[in-house]
Amino acid sequence: MTRHLDDDVLAQWALEDDGPDGPGTDHLQSCPQCAATLAELKLVLANARSKPRLDSPPPELWTKISDELSLDPGQSDVAPSAPVTGPDEPVARRSPARRFGGRALAAAAAFAAVAGAGAGVGGTVLLGDDEPAAIVQAAIKLEPLEGKTGAGTADLLQAAAGGQLKVSASGLSAVQGFYEVWMINTDGKRMVSLGVLNPGSGGTFQIPGEILAQGYRIVDVSLEPDDGNPVHSRNSIIRGILPS
Amino acid sequence: MTVTLLPAAHEPCQAFATVIAVTSMEADAPSSAEISKAFAEGRADSLAQAYQRWSNLVFTLALRALGNRADAEDVTQQVFVSAWRGRANFDPDSGQLGAWLTGITRHRIADRMTARSRELRNSEAAARLAEQRPTTVLDDLTIDRVLIADELEQIDDPRRTILKLAFYEDRTHPQIAEQLDLPLGTVKSHIRRGLLHLRDRLKEVTGDETSR
Repeated sequence: MTRHLDDDVLAQWALEDDGPDGPGTDHLQSCPQCAATLAELKLVLANARSKPRLDSPPPELWTKISDELSLDPGQSDVAPSAPVTGPDEPVARRSPARRFGGRALAAAAAFAAVAGAGAGVGGTVLLGDDEPAAIVQAAIKLEPLEGKTGAGTADLLQAAAGGQLKVSASGLSAVQGFYEVWMINTDGKRMVSLGVLNPGSGGTFQIPGEILAQGYRIVDVSLEPDDGNPVHSRNSIIRGILPS
Repeated sequence: MTVTLLPAAHEPCQAFATVIAVTSMEADAPSSAEISKAFAEGRADSLAQAYQRWSNLVFTLALRALGNRADAEDVTQQVFVSAWRGRANFDPDSGQLGAWLTGITRHRIADRMTARSRELRNSEAAARLAEQRPTTVLDDLTIDRVLIADELEQIDDPRRTILKLAFYEDRTHPQIAEQLDLPLGTVKSHIRRGLLHLRDRLKEVTGDETSR
């Protein structure tokens, strides 16, 4: 009976220059299936490394489509609500309404009701020597939640590529898992992940579409276990709210 | 199943509120499979969801093939309009909506290319081209690359961020581990799993070679 090579091992060989070991090479020579899988993985990797880019249609295209369909007799009941975000995003991203937590959101909504302090307005900041100036539209402090320690800041920037959020943190200890930046809607029901935050160096994140205008104003940094579960861990560490 | 209501002894209200909150919120998170199913059933909001999920993919494929934003917008509109009108032909059991939309996109691009060559009938060569409907107007390599970019955006963090740093920004694994403050083994594991995931998704969308 032939045992095939583990996918994980094949992926490792595809990724690393070292390639298969002796027994691995023997198996690949005698097993077309594993050899084909390795070739597939190398092809996917080469394609991914070619830095493929997605383009987005203009926002008005969705209106044209829904207009055309509502003119169609028998389809008049079709009036899809506009996507929460997506068509108007400069770069394709996940839909913001995709990740949800429970109690964290209720807490966020309650927080939104009482917070709002610490918001200020800045001037112009230079991201780097070569990068064009981004306008700082708001600068807020991120405060630790009850029982948590740490602090941070979040600057709302208007750059050529759209809205950005520049997040820095201090006092977040390196522990198991990772820190993730979220924008939570003040309705307490929806949130979108902006990405992974290095607590040491901070980071600048693209804000997808027009979500700020839709009420995603709470900036939240959570500690996430590395468990493959994309949902908010409910373990929020620091938080602030952008002015409306 | 019997539900017994107990007297409020240990903060039952708080637990109850949490359950309600989670339920109502998860109902708002359609996966690709859920959108596919809703689309096949003709549910009204599924077209908007499908557009949100796949319009970048459709538009990018059209743009790469036609090289012109206006034409790519027309094709994208045609794809979603004809997909909705022809949704009875879509069988969610035989593949996901993304694969079906990709197939329609290829046909609409081919139609547009044919129409373009008809417009050039003053040249004999163009006339011959117009009679011969192109079989492949988008090469498979381009399609694979666009599909990978699309699937990569759907991956959850931290894996998505890690893969983008590795593939798009050519960072080494130790550099990524340092930048994201994650153990090197975790970074490597995410990249391996991510590569396998992309391969699986690509196979699912492109199907076997005979359907191409």
